[in-house]
Amino acid sequence: MIDSILLVDDEDLFHLVFEDACSLLDISLSLNALNSSDEAAKLFEKWFQEGDNYDKPECVFVDLNIIGSSFDGIELIRKINFEFGNHVVIGIISSSNEAEEQAKAVQAGAQFWIIKSDDIEPRLEEFRKDYEGYKNRTLPFKVYK
Amino acid sequence: MIKIDSNTKKLLMDLYVTKRVGLEGNITKLIDSDDDDDFKNYLKECEIKDSDKRKKRLEITKKIQSQNKELSDLNDENSRILTELNQTLDEVGQDKLTYEVQNRELNEWKLENIRLTEELKHEMVKSEQARLTAETAKENAENDLDFIQKRNQTELISIIVKVALWMIIGVGVVTTLVYIITLTMGKDTQVISAAWANMFGILLTNAFSIVGTIMGIKYASKDNG
Repeated sequence: MIDSILLVDDEDLFHLVFEDACSLLDISLSLNALNSSDEAAKLFEKWFQEGDNYDKPECVFVDLNIIGSSFDGIELIRKINFEFGNHVVIGIISSSNEAEEQAKAVQAGAQFWIIKSDDIEPRLEEFRKDYEGYKNRTLPFKVYK
Repeated sequence: MIKIDSNTKKLLMDLYVTKRVGLEGNITKLIDSDDDDDFKNYLKECEIKDSDKRKKRLEITKKIQSQNKELSDLNDENSRILTELNQTLDEVGQDKLTYEVQNRELNEWKLENIRLTEELKHEMVKSEQARLTAETAKENAENDLDFIQKRNQTELISIIVKVALWMIIGVGVVTTLVYIITLTMGKDTQVISAAWANMFGILLTNAFSIVGTIMGIKYASKDNG
């Protein structure tokens, strides 16, 4: 089970769906959700600068297009991986399935891509099984369709 | 894992029995039951209750999400239709403008056509008048020509007749002079007298004929003039 998850998504309703699905599937104990990539970047910057990591999430799910933010999910992943040096399991959760965007996400350091849909539980279930591989950095980038 | 003392466990279980208030959320997954079967059952019930609540909430939120998506799609469709409608209205406006311009041009053409028709009518009237004038002039010219021709003919005839009359008179005078000379000279006049009488008779007849002709010509000339 993942200790803590951070979800960055502009859709509030999806926060509830994701939280309940994660709880029902015993994926995580705690889940924090943010609406903007700017907010998330600020938090990671703070964790990076202060070195105070007790509330840092273990895994981050980022939406591709975050309305109301200055940059998209791929840029947030790039910042977290290359600017703030935080070693977290990180990937995209989006309704998009564009290969071009997925290639960009890989370059930014994303480890997985989960496609959002009404029936998200089977994908999260599969992700849970693969999680250890992501944590150990042994599993390659994977798309959950 | 979190360990809870027996007193607290009892309080929690009593609260659940009397008020149906139990622990909720992932905290239940972190509490150690310490092989206490009653508390283990309590935690299990709390977990089931929480799970049921979450399932129900998940179902509702998914339904709302789906409805939101439908609404969003409908909104997109409405926006698309509205855009199309606006485009159509713009096109209709453009068509109206084009129609108005064409209509104005047609009206201008119509007015121009009416003006040209009026001018044409006017020109036709003028042309008809010119034709009538020309016909009149032609008739006049023909009449003048006829008159000139007749006058020339009359003058010619008159000259011929006058010449003939003078010739007759001349012949008569000459013959009479010869007869007189013959008489006065006492020569034989048998031949000359017979010839003079015959000639005089013929001349007189011709002279009357010529005079009559002259009179007729004059009468005719007077009618035409």
